[in-house]
Amino acid sequence: MVRILLRFSEEIVDQPITAQVILEHGIPISIVAAHIDSQGGEILAEVPETHVEKIIDAFREKGVTVTVPKLIEVDTEKCFECGACLSLCPVSAIAFKEDSSVVFDEEKCIGSPCGLCIDACPAKAIKLVEQHSSYLNR
Amino acid sequence: MKKLVESSGIEVAYKEVDVVTTGTFGAMCSSGAIINLGHSDPPIKIQKAWINDVEVCHPGAAVDLYIGATVMSETRPFEYGGGHVTEDLISGKEVELRATAYGTDCYPRTKLRTTLTKDDLNQFYLLNFRNCYQRYNCATNSRDETIYTYMGKLLPRFGNATFSGSGGLNPLMNDPDYETIGIGTRIFLGGGQGYVIGEGTQHDPGNRFGTLMVRGDCKKMNSEFIRGAAFTKYGTTLYVGIGTPIPILNEELARKTAILDEEILTDIVDYGVPRRERPKLGKVSYKELKSGTITIKDKKVKVSPLSSLKTARKIAETLKSWIENSSFYLTSPVERIPTDTICSPMKQTEEIAFVNSVMHPAVTCTEEEEIENVANRIISHSVNHIVVADDEGKLKGIVTSWDVTKAVAKGKKKLADIIVRKVVTTKPDESLEAASRKMAQHQISALPVIDHDKKVLGIITSEDISKLLGR
Repeated sequence: MVRILLRFSEEIVDQPITAQVILEHGIPISIVAAHIDSQGGEILAEVPETHVEKIIDAFREKGVTVTVPKLIEVDTEKCFECGACLSLCPVSAIAFKEDSSVVFDEEKCIGSPCGLCIDACPAKAIKLVEQHSSYLNR
Repeated sequence: MKKLVESSGIEVAYKEVDVVTTGTFGAMCSSGAIINLGHSDPPIKIQKAWINDVEVCHPGAAVDLYIGATVMSETRPFEYGGGHVTEDLISGKEVELRATAYGTDCYPRTKLRTTLTKDDLNQFYLLNFRNCYQRYNCATNSRDETIYTYMGKLLPRFGNATFSGSGGLNPLMNDPDYETIGIGTRIFLGGGQGYVIGEGTQHDPGNRFGTLMVRGDCKKMNSEFIRGAAFTKYGTTLYVGIGTPIPILNEELARKTAILDEEILTDIVDYGVPRRERPKLGKVSYKELKSGTITIKDKKVKVSPLSSLKTARKIAETLKSWIENSSFYLTSPVERIPTDTICSPMKQTEEIAFVNSVMHPAVTCTEEEEIENVANRIISHSVNHIVVADDEGKLKGIVTSWDVTKAVAKGKKKLADIIVRKVVTTKPDESLEAASRKMAQHQISALPVIDHDKKVLGIITSEDISKLLGR
């Protein structure tokens, strides 16, 4: 599965675009996180790798901006493994090991639509970084 | 010790174990470093000084400076502060000093700028007046908004909780009667060796909130155990690593050092209420805190530490290895630390105004009413804010005269369409200062006053506050 970030502008936010794309192409799209209000919206979606290009095109045709989410990066030099970030994470991507080391699961992390942990870090060791993706830049 | 006492009993543990080592590594704000720069030529009697744009305090004669951990950089506030300056110096980095003075006959110089490393300093000592809290509160937040505190980021409506301290590994928890820890006790401090120089400020051993005052040579410390840190929208601090050796002089000490996380309880405290006495929501053990989840008001809440347990363990282990290879010798205290002091509240001679002293009844409406009715009420009561409440008087939203004007201009008919439902509120016992801070932060001019059941008690407006100030 590949994660893509869909941005809906104020003009199109009230249309059932995601449902239309799913129905038109018969491809399952899993919504990982969503934030929508009257000014616009953002959906973090997971799509099958085999169909990612087709789905991106379909969303773009309907006026949706498609990017990849920024991911969390931890500067291990700065991090002193206090674990202050743990209780902020809604998807339990950060956990303690037996020896109280802090481990971060990149697969679980939803990245830029969330980012709750970033300003909770006393060591300022957490950053959002751009991901490079081949399928977006054609 | 803990395992040995459990498996073989206190008598055996007392005979087998000579020393128990402890450790803690957490944010200790009442910390700082004293440095002596040596004299410049021509000499200067420093009046004000900054290191890496962090103002440092000039408490002494001419060139002694104190780098307070919580003082923030004037160019990078909330990011870099005195704690970071101390860490940078310990790790060998060069820092920039700026100083100004008024000039005297013996100290004529009025300006100074130079760079420094720790090797350029005559003395560089950590001098911390309150460290090593025996235990601390578990913090959570009842408010509808995220708050940023010295206990970290606290999500709305008890969305998470934080705690500090190493529990059963804490130095003072293992010697709660101060039999071995006293003035002159040699300790692990910041990766080097330091000394206890007395009880810390706010030392309250009777309530198991003991603290220590410590001192140590920064030039021999290791920045792994002394780290500058920044709490978003709160400020900067210093993470300090402290470990104490506890000689097992009697069976009682064997019993005391066997203390377990489950035996150490602390209060869950609502930091959403910015008062000296914050509401307590229950008790929790360090075992539960370390498990990652606690229960607050029947709800499972994620909890995270602010101090590093991993580093605390490393400190206890390092101290143990130092003692084993004879690079650290235990000392007996030259004087005992008081065991009967308490932490009293501040004497205040000026009265502080609270919301309940200026709040007045709110003009209300229900969600079902017509916009026209609401507009009439705004005129007849000459107010700008109408609080929307349900039949039980619970807060549902707010409508301002501006919202009504906008609704008329845009031809909206239904009140439900213009109600602002995300309402910033206050409580009767909140200080007026905190309430005005909220209004300024959210750029609004009134706050409905509610109780803990969201029942509307009244309203305060920025006008009320201005009137009070103008009195």
